[in-house]
Amino acid sequence: MTSDGPGATTMQNNPTAPLEIGRANIHDLRIRWSDGHESVYPAADLRLACPCEGCAQQSAPRPPGQIRLLPAGIQAVHPLRVELIGQYAIRVYWSDGHSEGIYGFDRLRAACPCCLVKRGA
Amino acid sequence: MTSLPGNSIRYVIPVASGKGGVGKSTVTANLALAMAREGARVGVMDADVYGPSIPTILGVASLPEMDEDDKIRPVEQDGLKIISMGFFMAPEQAVVWRGPMLHKTMQQFLNGVIWGELDYLLVDLPPGTGDIQLSLCQSIPIAGAVIVSTPQDVALNVAQKAIAMFRSLNAPILGVIENMSDYVCPHCGVHDEVFGAGGAATMAERLGVAFLGAIPLTTAIRRASDAGRPVVVSAPESAPARAFFTIAERITTLVSARPEGASARPEVTF
Repeated sequence: MTSDGPGATTMQNNPTAPLEIGRANIHDLRIRWSDGHESVYPAADLRLACPCEGCAQQSAPRPPGQIRLLPAGIQAVHPLRVELIGQYAIRVYWSDGHSEGIYGFDRLRAACPCCLVKRGA
Repeated sequence: MTSLPGNSIRYVIPVASGKGGVGKSTVTANLALAMAREGARVGVMDADVYGPSIPTILGVASLPEMDEDDKIRPVEQDGLKIISMGFFMAPEQAVVWRGPMLHKTMQQFLNGVIWGELDYLLVDLPPGTGDIQLSLCQSIPIAGAVIVSTPQDVALNVAQKAIAMFRSLNAPILGVIENMSDYVCPHCGVHDEVFGAGGAATMAERLGVAFLGAIPLTTAIRRASDAGRPVVVSAPESAPARAFFTIAERITTLVSARPEGASARPEVTF
Protein backbone atom coordinates (compact mmCIF):
# COMPACT_ATOMS: atom_id res chain seq x y z
CA MET A 1 0.00 0.00 0.00
CA THR A 2 1.32 3.41 -0.89
CA SER A 3 1.48 6.31 1.50
CA ASP A 4 -0.89 9.20 0.91
CA GLY A 5 1.19 11.73 2.77
CA PRO A 6 2.80 14.74 1.14
CA GLY A 7 5.06 13.69 -1.65
CA ALA A 8 3.73 10.16 -1.57
CA THR A 9 2.53 8.29 -4.61
CA THR A 10 -1.16 8.03 -5.28
CA MET A 11 -3.07 7.16 -8.40
CA GLN A 12 -3.40 10.82 -9.22
CA ASN A 13 0.30 11.64 -9.35
CA ASN A 14 1.37 8.22 -10.49
CA PRO A 15 3.51 8.50 -13.64
CA THR A 16 1.85 5.31 -14.88
CA ALA A 17 -1.72 6.56 -14.88
CA PRO A 18 -3.87 5.22 -17.73
CA LEU A 19 -4.30 7.45 -20.77
CA GLU A 20 -6.53 5.28 -22.92
CA ILE A 21 -8.66 2.21 -22.33
CA GLY A 22 -10.00 0.30 -25.29
CA ARG A 23 -10.23 -3.01 -27.08
CA ALA A 24 -7.18 -4.97 -28.19
CA ASN A 25 -9.56 -7.25 -30.13
CA ILE A 26 -13.09 -8.53 -29.62
CA HIS A 27 -12.08 -10.32 -26.44
CA ASP A 28 -9.23 -8.51 -24.85
CA LEU A 29 -8.79 -5.19 -23.09
CA ARG A 30 -5.99 -2.79 -23.87
CA ILE A 31 -4.72 0.01 -21.63
CA ARG A 32 -2.20 2.60 -22.75
CA TRP A 33 -0.34 4.09 -19.78
CA SER A 34 1.20 7.52 -19.38
CA ASP A 35 4.74 6.07 -19.44
CA GLY A 36 4.06 4.76 -22.95
CA HIS A 37 3.59 1.13 -21.96
CA GLU A 38 0.64 -0.81 -23.34
CA SER A 39 -0.95 -3.68 -21.49
CA VAL A 40 -3.23 -6.25 -23.09
CA TYR A 41 -5.41 -8.24 -20.70
CA PRO A 42 -6.94 -11.48 -22.01
CA ALA A 43 -10.66 -11.30 -21.29
CA ALA A 44 -10.89 -14.70 -19.61
CA ASP A 45 -8.01 -13.90 -17.25
CA LEU A 46 -9.49 -10.55 -16.39
CA ARG A 47 -12.93 -12.05 -15.78
CA LEU A 48 -11.45 -14.73 -13.51
CA ALA A 49 -9.56 -12.03 -11.61
CA CYS A 50 -12.79 -10.11 -10.91
CA PRO A 51 -12.19 -8.38 -7.55
CA CYS A 52 -15.84 -8.32 -6.45
CA GLU A 53 -16.66 -9.92 -3.14
CA GLY A 54 -18.44 -12.90 -4.66
CA CYS A 55 -15.68 -13.73 -7.15
CA ALA A 56 -12.93 -13.03 -4.61
CA GLN A 57 -14.45 -15.66 -2.32
CA GLN A 58 -14.57 -18.10 -5.22
CA SER A 59 -10.89 -17.56 -6.01
CA ALA A 60 -9.71 -17.69 -2.40
CA PRO A 61 -7.19 -20.44 -1.58
CA ARG A 62 -8.92 -23.76 -1.03
CA PRO A 63 -8.04 -26.78 1.05
CA PRO A 64 -6.20 -29.53 -0.83
CA GLY A 65 -8.57 -31.63 -2.86
CA GLN A 66 -11.23 -28.99 -3.16
CA ILE A 67 -11.38 -27.80 -6.74
CA ARG A 68 -12.56 -24.47 -8.07
CA LEU A 69 -15.36 -24.55 -10.61
CA LEU A 70 -14.74 -22.13 -13.46
CA PRO A 71 -17.75 -20.37 -14.96
CA ALA A 72 -19.12 -22.14 -18.00
CA GLY A 73 -18.03 -20.59 -21.27
CA ILE A 74 -15.22 -18.62 -19.64
CA GLN A 75 -13.14 -18.74 -22.80
CA ALA A 76 -15.88 -16.98 -24.77
CA VAL A 77 -16.58 -14.27 -22.25
CA HIS A 78 -15.74 -10.76 -23.43
CA PRO A 79 -16.26 -7.21 -22.27
CA LEU A 80 -19.34 -5.46 -23.63
CA ARG A 81 -18.70 -2.09 -22.05
CA VAL A 82 -16.20 -0.41 -19.77
CA GLU A 83 -17.19 2.34 -17.39
CA LEU A 84 -14.76 4.69 -15.76
CA ILE A 85 -15.06 4.79 -11.98
CA GLY A 86 -13.84 8.18 -10.83
CA GLN A 87 -10.27 8.18 -12.08
CA TYR A 88 -9.14 5.27 -10.07
CA ALA A 89 -10.73 2.23 -11.58
CA ILE A 90 -12.96 0.71 -14.24
CA ARG A 91 -16.05 -1.43 -14.10
CA VAL A 92 -16.32 -4.02 -16.86
CA TYR A 93 -19.71 -5.18 -18.10
CA TRP A 94 -19.08 -8.77 -19.20
CA SER A 95 -20.95 -10.78 -21.79
CA ASP A 96 -21.91 -13.31 -19.08
CA GLY A 97 -23.92 -10.60 -17.32
CA HIS A 98 -21.45 -9.96 -14.52
CA SER A 99 -20.45 -6.37 -13.72
CA GLU A 100 -19.82 -6.22 -10.00
CA GLY A 101 -16.05 -5.97 -10.05
CA ILE A 102 -14.22 -2.66 -9.82
CA TYR A 103 -10.71 -3.00 -11.23
CA GLY A 104 -8.32 -0.47 -9.70
CA PHE A 105 -5.70 0.95 -12.06
CA ASP A 106 -2.87 0.25 -9.64
CA ARG A 107 -3.80 -3.42 -9.54
CA LEU A 108 -4.27 -3.56 -13.30
CA ARG A 109 -0.84 -2.07 -13.85
CA ALA A 110 0.71 -4.46 -11.35
CA ALA A 111 -1.00 -7.33 -13.14
CA CYS A 112 0.13 -6.35 -16.66
CA PRO A 113 0.64 -9.76 -18.32
CA CYS A 114 3.83 -8.88 -20.20
CA CYS A 115 5.39 -7.30 -17.11
CA LEU A 116 4.56 -10.41 -15.09
CA VAL A 117 6.33 -12.54 -17.71
CA LYS A 118 9.39 -10.28 -17.59
CA ARG A 119 9.45 -10.48 -13.82
CA GLY A 120 9.12 -14.25 -14.02
CA ALA A 121 5.97 -14.15 -11.93
CA MET B 1 -10.43 20.03 -13.08
CA THR B 2 -13.68 18.17 -12.66
CA SER B 3 -16.14 18.63 -15.49
CA LEU B 4 -19.72 18.26 -14.42
CA PRO B 5 -22.36 19.35 -16.91
CA GLY B 6 -22.27 23.15 -17.04
CA ASN B 7 -19.84 23.37 -14.13
CA SER B 8 -16.12 23.63 -13.72
CA ILE B 9 -14.77 22.53 -10.36
CA ARG B 10 -11.04 22.50 -9.82
CA TYR B 11 -10.77 20.36 -6.69
CA VAL B 12 -13.39 18.16 -5.06
CA ILE B 13 -12.50 17.49 -1.43
CA PRO B 14 -14.70 15.10 0.56
CA VAL B 15 -14.58 15.54 4.32
CA ALA B 16 -15.18 12.20 5.98
CA SER B 17 -15.13 10.55 9.35
CA GLY B 18 -15.58 7.04 10.55
CA LYS B 19 -17.62 7.78 13.63
CA GLY B 20 -20.43 10.32 13.87
CA GLY B 21 -20.35 13.27 16.22
CA VAL B 22 -16.70 14.15 15.73
CA GLY B 23 -17.48 17.63 14.37
CA LYS B 24 -17.04 16.88 10.70
CA SER B 25 -19.67 19.36 9.54
CA THR B 26 -18.30 22.10 11.77
CA VAL B 27 -14.83 21.46 10.37
CA THR B 28 -16.19 21.44 6.80
CA ALA B 29 -18.00 24.74 7.27
CA ASN B 30 -15.05 26.49 8.87
CA LEU B 31 -12.55 25.18 6.33
CA ALA B 32 -14.78 26.30 3.47
CA LEU B 33 -15.14 29.78 4.97
CA ALA B 34 -11.41 29.98 5.61
CA MET B 35 -10.73 29.13 1.97
CA ALA B 36 -13.32 31.64 0.77
CA ARG B 37 -11.83 34.38 2.96
CA GLU B 38 -8.50 33.73 1.28
CA GLY B 39 -10.14 34.54 -2.04
CA ALA B 40 -11.01 31.08 -3.35
CA ARG B 41 -14.32 30.23 -5.00
CA VAL B 42 -15.77 27.57 -2.73
CA GLY B 43 -18.82 25.36 -2.72
CA VAL B 44 -20.15 23.21 0.12
CA MET B 45 -22.16 20.11 -0.66
CA ASP B 46 -23.81 18.70 2.43
CA ALA B 47 -23.98 15.03 1.50
CA ASP B 48 -24.92 13.97 5.01
CA VAL B 49 -28.46 13.24 3.91
CA TYR B 50 -29.32 11.52 7.20
CA GLY B 51 -28.34 14.42 9.43
CA PRO B 52 -27.77 17.56 7.38
CA SER B 53 -26.34 20.22 9.66
CA ILE B 54 -24.54 22.56 7.27
CA PRO B 55 -27.57 24.93 6.93
CA THR B 56 -27.65 25.37 10.71
CA ILE B 57 -23.90 25.80 11.12
CA LEU B 58 -23.68 28.30 8.27
CA GLY B 59 -26.87 30.05 9.38
CA VAL B 60 -28.52 29.68 5.99
CA ALA B 61 -31.92 31.32 6.04
CA SER B 62 -32.84 31.18 2.35
CA LEU B 63 -33.62 28.23 0.13
CA PRO B 64 -32.15 27.24 -3.23
CA GLU B 65 -34.18 28.06 -6.32
CA MET B 66 -34.78 26.20 -9.55
CA ASP B 67 -33.90 27.79 -12.88
CA GLU B 68 -35.87 27.46 -16.09
CA ASP B 69 -34.03 24.21 -16.94
CA ASP B 70 -34.98 22.65 -13.57
CA LYS B 71 -31.43 22.99 -12.31
CA ILE B 72 -30.87 23.93 -8.70
CA ARG B 73 -29.33 27.30 -7.96
CA PRO B 74 -27.38 26.82 -4.71
CA VAL B 75 -27.75 29.23 -1.83
CA GLU B 76 -24.97 31.82 -1.85
CA GLN B 77 -23.80 33.15 1.47
CA ASP B 78 -20.51 34.43 2.92
CA GLY B 79 -18.85 33.74 -0.43
CA LEU B 80 -19.93 30.09 -0.43
CA LYS B 81 -22.28 28.19 -2.71
CA ILE B 82 -24.21 25.77 -0.53
CA ILE B 83 -26.47 22.80 -1.18
CA SER B 84 -27.88 20.47 1.45
CA MET B 85 -30.52 17.82 1.88
CA GLY B 86 -31.64 19.99 4.78
CA PHE B 87 -33.07 22.46 2.25
CA PHE B 88 -35.47 19.87 0.93
CA MET B 89 -36.94 18.35 4.07
CA ALA B 90 -38.60 19.54 7.25
CA PRO B 91 -36.50 19.26 10.43
CA GLU B 92 -38.79 16.56 11.85
CA GLN B 93 -38.53 14.43 8.69
CA ALA B 94 -36.04 11.58 8.37
CA VAL B 95 -34.37 10.17 5.27
CA VAL B 96 -35.04 6.44 5.16
CA TRP B 97 -33.64 5.43 1.81
CA ARG B 98 -31.89 2.52 0.25
CA GLY B 99 -28.70 2.81 -1.79
CA PRO B 100 -30.14 3.57 -5.25
CA MET B 101 -32.07 6.58 -3.94
CA LEU B 102 -28.97 7.88 -2.17
CA HIS B 103 -26.98 7.47 -5.38
CA LYS B 104 -29.64 9.39 -7.29
CA THR B 105 -29.49 12.24 -4.79
CA MET B 106 -25.71 12.41 -5.08
CA GLN B 107 -26.02 12.57 -8.86
CA GLN B 108 -28.57 15.35 -8.51
CA PHE B 109 -26.29 17.31 -6.19
CA LEU B 110 -23.36 16.86 -8.57
CA ASN B 111 -25.04 17.23 -11.94
CA GLY B 112 -28.26 19.07 -11.22
CA VAL B 113 -26.77 22.00 -9.28
CA ILE B 114 -25.44 25.14 -10.93
CA TRP B 115 -22.07 25.23 -9.20
CA GLY B 116 -20.52 27.32 -11.95
CA GLU B 117 -16.78 27.82 -11.59
CA LEU B 118 -15.33 26.71 -8.27
CA ASP B 119 -11.82 26.32 -6.98
CA TYR B 120 -12.90 23.93 -4.23
CA LEU B 121 -16.02 21.89 -3.59
CA LEU B 122 -16.02 20.56 -0.04
CA VAL B 123 -18.33 17.60 0.39
CA ASP B 124 -19.55 16.94 3.92
CA LEU B 125 -20.03 13.16 3.90
CA PRO B 126 -22.15 11.23 6.37
CA PRO B 127 -20.18 9.22 8.90
CA GLY B 128 -19.22 5.71 7.96
CA THR B 129 -18.30 3.89 4.79
CA GLY B 130 -21.57 3.44 2.98
CA ASP B 131 -23.42 4.16 -0.24
CA ILE B 132 -22.90 7.92 -0.29
CA GLN B 133 -19.13 7.65 0.00
CA LEU B 134 -19.01 4.97 -2.66
CA SER B 135 -21.30 6.91 -4.96
CA LEU B 136 -19.23 10.08 -4.71
CA CYS B 137 -15.87 8.38 -5.24
CA GLN B 138 -17.23 6.44 -8.17
CA SER B 139 -18.84 9.45 -9.83
CA ILE B 140 -16.21 12.15 -9.92
CA PRO B 141 -12.46 12.51 -9.60
CA ILE B 142 -11.65 13.74 -6.14
CA ALA B 143 -8.55 15.75 -5.28
CA GLY B 144 -8.21 14.01 -1.94
CA ALA B 145 -10.20 13.14 1.12
CA VAL B 146 -9.88 14.81 4.49
CA ILE B 147 -10.55 12.56 7.49
CA VAL B 148 -11.80 14.12 10.73
CA SER B 149 -11.47 12.29 14.02
CA THR B 150 -11.52 13.04 17.70
CA PRO B 151 -8.47 11.79 19.60
CA GLN B 152 -9.95 8.91 21.57
CA ASP B 153 -9.44 5.31 20.50
CA VAL B 154 -13.11 4.61 19.86
CA ALA B 155 -13.17 7.32 17.16
CA LEU B 156 -9.72 6.61 15.76
CA ASN B 157 -10.48 2.93 15.34
CA VAL B 158 -13.42 3.82 13.12
CA ALA B 159 -11.54 6.61 11.31
CA GLN B 160 -9.12 3.94 10.11
CA LYS B 161 -11.99 2.31 8.30
CA ALA B 162 -12.70 5.53 6.38
CA ILE B 163 -9.04 5.65 5.35
CA ALA B 164 -9.21 2.00 4.29
CA MET B 165 -12.34 2.71 2.26
CA PHE B 166 -10.75 5.56 0.30
CA ARG B 167 -7.67 3.44 -0.27
CA SER B 168 -9.72 0.55 -1.53
CA LEU B 169 -11.22 2.93 -4.09
CA ASN B 170 -7.76 4.25 -4.98
CA ALA B 171 -9.01 7.66 -3.93
CA PRO B 172 -6.23 9.91 -2.65
CA ILE B 173 -6.24 11.00 1.00
CA LEU B 174 -5.00 14.48 1.89
CA GLY B 175 -4.72 13.78 5.59
CA VAL B 176 -6.27 13.61 9.02
CA ILE B 177 -7.57 16.42 11.25
CA GLU B 178 -7.83 15.93 14.99
CA ASN B 179 -10.92 17.74 16.26
CA MET B 180 -11.77 18.46 19.92
CA SER B 181 -8.09 17.97 20.59
CA ASP B 182 -7.42 20.04 23.65
CA TYR B 183 -9.65 21.94 26.06
CA VAL B 184 -8.44 25.14 27.68
CA CYS B 185 -10.61 26.31 30.56
CA PRO B 186 -11.67 29.88 29.77
CA HIS B 187 -11.67 30.73 33.47
CA CYS B 188 -8.42 29.29 34.79
CA GLY B 189 -6.49 28.49 31.60
CA VAL B 190 -5.87 24.89 32.62
CA HIS B 191 -5.51 22.44 29.71
CA ASP B 192 -7.60 19.31 29.82
CA GLU B 193 -7.39 16.60 27.20
CA VAL B 194 -11.02 15.56 27.44
CA PHE B 195 -10.80 13.00 24.64
CA GLY B 196 -7.04 12.58 24.84
CA ALA B 197 -4.65 14.32 22.44
CA GLY B 198 -2.28 13.37 19.69
CA GLY B 199 -4.06 10.15 18.79
CA ALA B 200 -4.90 11.27 15.25
CA ALA B 201 -1.30 12.32 14.57
CA THR B 202 -0.07 8.94 15.77
CA MET B 203 -2.65 7.14 13.66
CA ALA B 204 -1.79 9.26 10.61
CA GLU B 205 1.88 8.42 10.95
CA ARG B 206 1.15 4.74 11.41
CA LEU B 207 -1.09 4.62 8.34
CA GLY B 208 1.20 6.77 6.20
CA VAL B 209 -1.15 9.70 5.73
CA ALA B 210 -0.48 13.37 6.47
CA PHE B 211 -1.55 14.95 9.73
CA LEU B 212 -3.20 18.24 8.79
CA GLY B 213 -3.57 19.74 12.24
CA ALA B 214 -5.60 19.88 15.43
CA ILE B 215 -8.67 21.91 16.37
CA PRO B 216 -9.16 22.65 20.07
CA LEU B 217 -12.33 21.79 21.97
CA THR B 218 -13.81 25.16 22.83
CA THR B 219 -17.20 26.50 23.74
CA ALA B 220 -16.59 29.30 21.24
CA ILE B 221 -16.67 26.91 18.27
CA ARG B 222 -19.85 25.22 19.49
CA ARG B 223 -21.57 28.48 20.28
CA ALA B 224 -20.60 30.06 16.96
CA SER B 225 -21.78 27.01 15.01
CA ASP B 226 -25.11 26.87 16.83
CA ALA B 227 -25.60 30.56 16.12
CA GLY B 228 -24.95 30.06 12.42
CA ARG B 229 -21.84 32.24 12.47
CA PRO B 230 -18.85 29.85 12.42
CA VAL B 231 -15.82 30.97 14.37
CA VAL B 232 -13.82 31.68 11.21
CA VAL B 233 -16.34 34.45 10.42
CA SER B 234 -17.40 35.58 13.88
CA ALA B 235 -13.96 35.58 15.51
CA PRO B 236 -11.35 35.24 12.75
CA GLU B 237 -8.50 36.33 15.02
CA SER B 238 -9.26 33.76 17.73
CA ALA B 239 -7.06 30.72 18.32
CA PRO B 240 -9.69 28.22 17.06
CA ALA B 241 -10.21 30.25 13.88
CA ARG B 242 -6.46 30.43 13.33
CA ALA B 243 -6.31 26.64 13.58
CA PHE B 244 -8.90 26.37 10.80
CA PHE B 245 -7.03 28.90 8.63
CA THR B 246 -3.78 26.98 9.08
CA ILE B 247 -5.37 23.66 8.13
CA ALA B 248 -7.19 25.21 5.16
CA GLU B 249 -3.88 26.56 3.90
CA ARG B 250 -2.26 23.13 4.28
CA ILE B 251 -5.06 21.55 2.28
CA THR B 252 -4.93 24.10 -0.53
CA THR B 253 -1.15 23.75 -0.68
CA LEU B 254 -1.40 19.97 -0.84
CA VAL B 255 -3.95 19.86 -3.63
CA SER B 256 -2.28 22.57 -5.70
CA ALA B 257 1.08 20.79 -5.36
CA ARG B 258 -0.27 17.95 -7.43
CA PRO B 259 1.15 17.83 -10.96
CA GLU B 260 -0.74 19.66 -13.67
CA GLY B 261 -3.18 17.42 -15.48
CA ALA B 262 -3.04 14.83 -12.74
CA SER B 263 -6.81 14.76 -12.53
CA ALA B 264 -7.29 14.14 -16.24
CA ARG B 265 -9.56 11.21 -16.91
CA PRO B 266 -8.33 8.54 -19.26
CA GLU B 267 -10.07 8.17 -22.57
CA VAL B 268 -12.35 5.16 -22.86
CA THR B 269 -12.72 4.05 -26.48
CA PHE B 270 -15.01 1.10 -25.88
